Amino acid sequence: MDASQLLKGLLDVAVLAVVQNEDGYGYDVVRRLRAAGLDEVGDASVYGTLRRLYQGGALTSYVVPSEEGPHRKYYAINERGRTMLDEGAKTWRTFADTVDGVLGLPRVAA
Amino acid sequence: MTATTTTKAAQAYLDEVSSELIDLPAEERAELLEDLSLHLSEMAEEEDDRSLPSRLGSAADYASELRSAAGLPPRTATARARQASLRRAWRRLWSSAFIRELRNFLPTLAPAWWVLRGYLVVLLPSLRHVSRSHDFPVPSPYNSQPFGVTLVLIAVLASIAIGRRTFPRPAAALMIAFNLLLAAAALNIAATAPARLSTHEVRLERLPDPSLVVSPLANRHGPVTNIFPYGADGKPLTGVLLYDQDGRPLYVGQQLWFPDLCARVSTPPLASDGVPIPQSYPQNYTLLGTVLGDTTQPVASGQCKPVPIVKVTLPLYKTPLQ
Repeated sequence: MDASQLLKGLLDVAVLAVVQNEDGYGYDVVRRLRAAGLDEVGDASVYGTLRRLYQGGALTSYVVPSEEGPHRKYYAINERGRTMLDEGAKTWRTFADTVDGVLGLPRVAA
Repeated sequence: MTATTTTKAAQAYLDEVSSELIDLPAEERAELLEDLSLHLSEMAEEEDDRSLPSRLGSAADYASELRSAAGLPPRTATARARQASLRRAWRRLWSSAFIRELRNFLPTLAPAWWVLRGYLVVLLPSLRHVSRSHDFPVPSPYNSQPFGVTLVLIAVLASIAIGRRTFPRPAAALMIAFNLLLAAAALNIAATAPARLSTHEVRLERLPDPSLVVSPLANRHGPVTNIFPYGADGKPLTGVLLYDQDGRPLYVGQQLWFPDLCARVSTPPLASDGVPIPQSYPQNYTLLGTVLGDTTQPVASGQCKPVPIVKVTLPLYKTPLQ
């Protein structure tokens, strides 16, 4: 099964998760996701998701000028984003447990 | 991969993605492209020899992935095809032999336009009024042609200096708008000039007094309608016959207006054979019995009075003339 199809529905939660402790700019977010093992995530998907979350009010954004190289647009999670992240994590936990049960796999301890 | 080719490739990729997002609202599109542009700059600083499409996917795929992740509607195939065919048609037109010739030829006309522009800038304001048609072809503000020529020279030199410089985008756009406006104003004046000039001619034709044209004799005060000769002794003469330098009889015009508003007609004396002698002065006028301007209305009783003799100051001779 192609993991990228599964990832699509989870990208919101994944993006919110990688900026929950530290603000990040676009490419930063892409790298954090990849470093976490989500190799198949596309750059465009990340940027699109950031944009949608920002417009949806889950992220705020600010620009940091750079003396060398391009300036960077950082995204920071806000209260709304944290709520979305918590709900997304719960949904995922429930869903994953359910699928595990269906597949007859041992449950992960919560 | 060198820095310049990276930039070029990045720009090309950016342009391609941009055209894939062409249907989005401008602000939305600009935000998305800014993100991509920053992303491409970041990537350019990495040591990675792979081409952009192999790292990011084709521009079309990138754009469609971006749209779907951002929750934007996908681009329809027909819209894309329509745009592609438009772009192809435009490219074909742009690179056609005729347009190419034009593109090569038009810049050579630029200096001529700079000169014309300087002239028009001075000429057009002075042509705004109908009465100022003497401002063409040499504008003469404050009725001074030397001043106009000086202004034109200054304007032409300034126009050339401006034309030879290159300006940043906003100033260049302003300059193009100004050029178009000037050209439109010049065309407008050229188109309305015949109408203006013809009204001007009509005004000129009306200037001379029509009575001058019909009167056979005139002095600088207007038509002459009678002559009152005086003798050297200061007495008025009657029945004086007048001839010009070639021996032709001297005629005067009919007097058409009298202060008492009674219509009169000149009645010259008759020769023995019955032929009138109109060169006999002063002219004798006879009442017609009607009012001026209306041959059917009779005069009121007591309206008509003898035509007053104009008083003249006669010179005094030192010795009586022989």
